Amino acid sequence: MESRVLKPILAVYVAAFLLFLYGPFVVLTIISFQQGPEGGPQFPIIEWSTYWYQHLFGLTPPSRIAPLPVGEALVRSLVLAFMTMVTSTVLGVMAAQAFRKRFRGANVIFYLIVLGMMVPGVLTGLGTSLLANNIIGIERHWYSTAFASHVVYTFPFAFLVMLAILNRFDASVEEAAWSLGVSPITTFRRVTFPLIFPGVLSAMLFAFTLSLDEFPRTLFASGRDQTLPLAIYGTFSVEIHPNIFAFGVLTTLFSFALLSVYGILMAMSVRRARKMAMQEDIT
Amino acid sequence: MADLTASVPRRDNTTRLLLLPGIIWMLLFLITPIAMIVYVSFWTQTTFNISPDPTLASWKQFFSSDTYVGSLWTTMRIWLIVLATTFLVGYPTALFVGLLVKSKTLATVLLVICVIPFWTSFLIRVLAWRPMLGKEGAINIILLKLGVIQQPIEVLLFTELSVVIGMTQIYCVFMVGPIAFMLARIDRNIIEAARDLGAGFGRIFWKIIFPLSLPGVVVGAIFVSVMVLGEFATSGALSGRKVNLLGNIIVTQVGSLKWAMASVVGVILTVVMGVVIAGFLRIVDLKREL
Repeated sequence: MESRVLKPILAVYVAAFLLFLYGPFVVLTIISFQQGPEGGPQFPIIEWSTYWYQHLFGLTPPSRIAPLPVGEALVRSLVLAFMTMVTSTVLGVMAAQAFRKRFRGANVIFYLIVLGMMVPGVLTGLGTSLLANNIIGIERHWYSTAFASHVVYTFPFAFLVMLAILNRFDASVEEAAWSLGVSPITTFRRVTFPLIFPGVLSAMLFAFTLSLDEFPRTLFASGRDQTLPLAIYGTFSVEIHPNIFAFGVLTTLFSFALLSVYGILMAMSVRRARKMAMQEDIT
Repeated sequence: MADLTASVPRRDNTTRLLLLPGIIWMLLFLITPIAMIVYVSFWTQTTFNISPDPTLASWKQFFSSDTYVGSLWTTMRIWLIVLATTFLVGYPTALFVGLLVKSKTLATVLLVICVIPFWTSFLIRVLAWRPMLGKEGAINIILLKLGVIQQPIEVLLFTELSVVIGMTQIYCVFMVGPIAFMLARIDRNIIEAARDLGAGFGRIFWKIIFPLSLPGVVVGAIFVSVMVLGEFATSGALSGRKVNLLGNIIVTQVGSLKWAMASVVGVILTVVMGVVIAGFLRIVDLKREL
C-alpha cells in the first residue's frame, strides 16, 4: 500500500471526523456554563457561571424557569435499567448456551431473537401499548409494559455478545472437569462461569446503558410516570434552557463512572482467571 | 442456571429449557405486538376511540392523503441520503482504524474514542445540534470569523439539511465499527502478495480490500437503516416539524388518539423495514459473520 501518502491523509481525515463527532458535545459543554437565568442556549456566552448546574439541584433562587423534572425520573430509569439488565443477561446467557449445540430450527430462533434489535422502537412501543390498552386491558407502566419492550431490545444484544464469547469457548475444559467426576453444578460455577464472566459483564453493560437511554419504546409503552429520556423529551416542545445541557454533561460523567466500574471489574476477572489457571484446583 | 448443566446427558431437553424463556418473551412482547399493529390497522376509528369492526377506512385515508404518502417518500429519501453520508463519512475512518493503524492498542483506543459520545443521552445529543447549526450557532460564528462567509448561513438549522447532518453524526459510528472490524480481519499477506505482483493501491483496494469489507458495510447499513427508518426525535427537533417521517406521523396520530391510523403507518413502516433488512441479509449471512 502507498501508506506513505495515504496514511497521513487519512490521519487528518480521522481528526476531522473526530471533530465532527465531538463538536456538538464541546458546544453543549460550553453552553452549560452560560450565565443564568437570562442566558439562553446559544452563543455568545454572556458570562461564565455554574448557574445552570445549581439550577438542576434547586440551589438557585426561584425564577420563571422551572427546574428539570428529573429527580424521580432518574430513579425510575435506574431501576428499570437494572431490571432490564438482569433479565436480558439471564435470557441471553441461557439462549447462547443452548446455541452451543446444533438443533433443528436454530436459524428461525436465531432470527426471532435478533429481530428484537432490528424492529424500530416506535413499532414495538406502539404494538405493546395497543396490546395493553385494547386486548389485555391493563394500564401501561414503566415497570411492566415498558420493561417488557426494553428486554425485547436488549436481550438480542446480550445474546449476541454471549454467542461470540461461547463460540471461542473451549468445551474440553468442561469435559475434563466432568470426566474427573466434578458435578455439573460445580463445573458451571468453577469452570464455565469464570471463563464466560467477561462476556456476561459486557452483556450487562450493553443492556444497562441501552435501557437507561431508551426512548421510542418507552414513549409509547410507559404510562403516566416518566423515565429520564421522557422527561428530557418533554422539554423539546417547550423552550430549551441551558440546564438541559448541564444535565447532559452530568449524565455523561455518570456514564464514565459506570464505564470505569466495568473496566475495573473486567481487569479483576482477568487477573482472577489467570490465578485460577495457575492453581488448577478444581474441586 | 445450575440445573441446566446438571442434565448434561439429556441434551435435547436442556436445549429446549434454555431456549424456552427467551422464545416466549419474544413471541409475547415482539411478535404479538406487531401482529396487533396489523390487526388494529383494520379497526374502525371514531373520534376518541377504536372498535374492532373491520374496515379499510384508515388505509384508504392514508393513500389518499398527500401528507401521509409524502411522509413515506420523505422517509425513504432521508434514509437513502443518511445511508450514503454515514458510509462516505465512516468508510475512510474505518479504513484508517481497521487497516492502516499497525498497533492494536491504538486501533482500540480510536474505536473507544468514537464510542464515547454515546454516553451522552441521545436526546441531548440531538438538541446540542441547535446551538451548533443555528443562525448564531457555532458553525456560523467560526465561518464568519474566518471570513469564509459574510452573512450567516440560515439553511443550516430547521431544514432537511440539519436533519441529515444530525443523523449522520449520531449514526456514522455504527458504520465505522463493523467495517473496521472486517478490515482488521483481512490477512495482510494477501495484500502483500498483490503488491508483490505489481498491483497499485487502487487495484488492491477495489479487488481485495473493498470486497472483503463488504459484510461490515452491510452490517453497518442494517444498523443505520433500522435506526433511521424508525426515527422521529431527530427529525422533530432539528427540522422544526418541517420534515415528517413515518415515525413522526405515528407519534402525532397516537398523540391525538388516532390509533387506527397510527397502526396503518406502523404496518407500512414494518413492510419497508422487512424489505430493507431482507434485502441486506441476502447479501450477507449475519450468523456466519459473528
